[in-house]
Amino acid sequence: MSLSASIPQRNQIAVPSGMSDRWFAILLIVPAMAVILVFALAPLIYALDVSFRYADLTLGGMGEYVGLDNYRSVLADAAFWASAWVTVKFTLGAVILEMVLGIAIAFLIHGATKGKGIIRSLMVLPLATSAAVTGLFWRYLYDTQFGLINYFLGLLHLPEPNWLGDYTIALWSVVIFDVWQWTPFVALIALAGLQALPREPFEAAELDGASTFRVLRTLTFPMLAPVLFLVLVLRTIDCVRLYDAVAVLTRGGPGTVTESMTFYLYRTGLKLFRMDYASTMAIFFLYAMLVASLFALRPLLTQFSTRASEG
Amino acid sequence: MKTRLKRTLLTAALLTSAMPTAFAQECADADRVPITWSTIAGFYTDAMANLVSGFEAKNCVKVNVVNIDNSQLYNKQVIEMVGETGAYDVVTLETSEKAEYAENGFILPMTDYFKDKKEQLDDVAPTLAALTTQYKGDVWGLPYYTYTAGYIYRADLFDDPTEQEAFKAKYGYDLAVPTTWAQHRDIAEFFTRKKGENLKGQPLEKDFYGVGLMAGPFPEIQDEMSGVLWSQGGDWLTDDGKVPVDAVEKAMNDYLELMKFAPPAALTVTYDGVMNQMKDGQIAQTYSFFLDQWPNAVQTEQTVPGAKMGVAEAPEKKAYIGGFLLAVSAASAHPKEAMDFVAYIGGHDAQMEFAKAGGTSTLMSVLSDPQFATEESRPKTGHFTTLLKIFDSMQGFRSNLFLTPFGAKIYNTMQIPLQSAAAGQINAREAAEQLAATVEKICGGPCPIGK
Repeated sequence: MSLSASIPQRNQIAVPSGMSDRWFAILLIVPAMAVILVFALAPLIYALDVSFRYADLTLGGMGEYVGLDNYRSVLADAAFWASAWVTVKFTLGAVILEMVLGIAIAFLIHGATKGKGIIRSLMVLPLATSAAVTGLFWRYLYDTQFGLINYFLGLLHLPEPNWLGDYTIALWSVVIFDVWQWTPFVALIALAGLQALPREPFEAAELDGASTFRVLRTLTFPMLAPVLFLVLVLRTIDCVRLYDAVAVLTRGGPGTVTESMTFYLYRTGLKLFRMDYASTMAIFFLYAMLVASLFALRPLLTQFSTRASEG
Repeated sequence: MKTRLKRTLLTAALLTSAMPTAFAQECADADRVPITWSTIAGFYTDAMANLVSGFEAKNCVKVNVVNIDNSQLYNKQVIEMVGETGAYDVVTLETSEKAEYAENGFILPMTDYFKDKKEQLDDVAPTLAALTTQYKGDVWGLPYYTYTAGYIYRADLFDDPTEQEAFKAKYGYDLAVPTTWAQHRDIAEFFTRKKGENLKGQPLEKDFYGVGLMAGPFPEIQDEMSGVLWSQGGDWLTDDGKVPVDAVEKAMNDYLELMKFAPPAALTVTYDGVMNQMKDGQIAQTYSFFLDQWPNAVQTEQTVPGAKMGVAEAPEKKAYIGGFLLAVSAASAHPKEAMDFVAYIGGHDAQMEFAKAGGTSTLMSVLSDPQFATEESRPKTGHFTTLLKIFDSMQGFRSNLFLTPFGAKIYNTMQIPLQSAAAGQINAREAAEQLAATVEKICGGPCPIGK
């Protein structure tokens, strides 16, 4: 028996006798659904319930139902909207920079003739450590008195900013940290996408004498788009959830200049113990993320379903 | 007769020598009552481990110490208290947290426990005891460590004739330890110098600043401001439970005035950052600063050539005052053993050991012990005499911040508008108004004051 013939046989799973394919499929996804139910849906339903109550944990826990009071309070809360704006600014800044730099780095590595493996390995390093740990290093790097960044800027007779203390630049200092940590992720995925592209269209374009710009515009980027789009969605979702970098680098300060939505949510829930208010914000947050994800993922899902139906 | 005496002596000797073994046999590890103490990571952790061993040697108890980062201690403890998990038998509280824990039934009153231990209770510095242990007529634990603030400065700069002469010429009075905040500001301004200018007749190799401030995103900014606000006759909360906007604005403006003379890093640091600045020879003095940092500050004498450190009461004799209170969780499965532990750690013997290790005791008998006033002991306990003066000066002092059940939440939030102002994002008036609005929101109206 040939190997190619044996593989499908080994991967085939026998459906128990007397059970339809439909029920067998349901049986297979039950464990995963149970996990989602316990760890995602149940807390979500509980949070929804809390959002309609008065719930100060330090003052007796769950209180009476208050209707939409918490929702009205959140909508009228300037601090909530300020934190939403901080999140938007951070997400836009970080994602744009990471995508541009990541793609550029991917092209550079793709075109390199030597040392690709070493560079790829080095690029994994920032991703391999948690933001809580690397954030501590960066806090020291940013330090105005003892930090290496200002030391080198001083040697070059350049201005030495107060990276985390100056309210006009503190958020961008967090962005820089995030860009340092996550640009390699974008670059690695983009590089994998580049390496997986078929050669034939590019060879044909070369024979036709197409310019580099035209090749990029009409072949490379369109073919790379699904991969880049997926990275864009992943990075956006991750940036919107910004917490650890803020917690380690600035604690939301100076004042509330770097207070993201999740950090404000944490402060409300776990410092003020207003679980009602925190749950309401979490519901808003979830709703915004769901809507954004649906819009963002629609093209991808359409593409996948088209491919599936073609297959 | 002789033989009987010999036998008795021999038996006594054997008994004495065998006592620890006998206790160990009596109290096998499996028999030990387990209690858990949640405390602040890094605050004399080694010294605490020794004290815990001392307690375990005398009691059939096993103490598990859970070290938690200071910024997370409050929320971790509250979660366990609300859930009544009993995960922590003994908890560590900041002064502003006591009323919340007591009012919400998170901790047990120890009034009855101390009924026959009045001497021990009376040994706690009375000013401190009133602020940290008492609430609505009950005793809620013992403070084992005080972070009461004062004034730490570079005495060598103050003693330098060149500096004295220049100061008198500029301000018209003698350079000395400030007794008013206006003098403190003058000194801060006077010593703020650029690289290349002279300090004690020598050119500076880097910028030098008049004062170190803790204006980073931490609660310490309000600790610094507290002394000033209190010395101006104000408080964070009036008796009606509202923030006195005008008083806070004034204190904030004074603080902003000082920011001009602080290193740029002031906006990112807390007490350890200020100590690093001191030891790096960057600052001349502190503001209203935790005196428990004296053993740290005095190291400047080794790191900065010619430096001599001094410690004194804060100007106007008012400063942030308080201590870490040890209290017993209401959900503790072993409250008796937990209370014994609190009494032990806050007791004379343990506090003596703590002081020898560099800890800042809360007991009068320890703070006034002559062995801690010697020159040899100065690097660790040179601030004890000053602490006694502060406790004396602040006798009878009360702050409504420590008497409202919302104190902890207010304490954990008030840094935000204050730091916004320190960073220049908003002005002092806006900071005071934001603080008032935030506090009103936290308390759901005027804050209740429990006296």
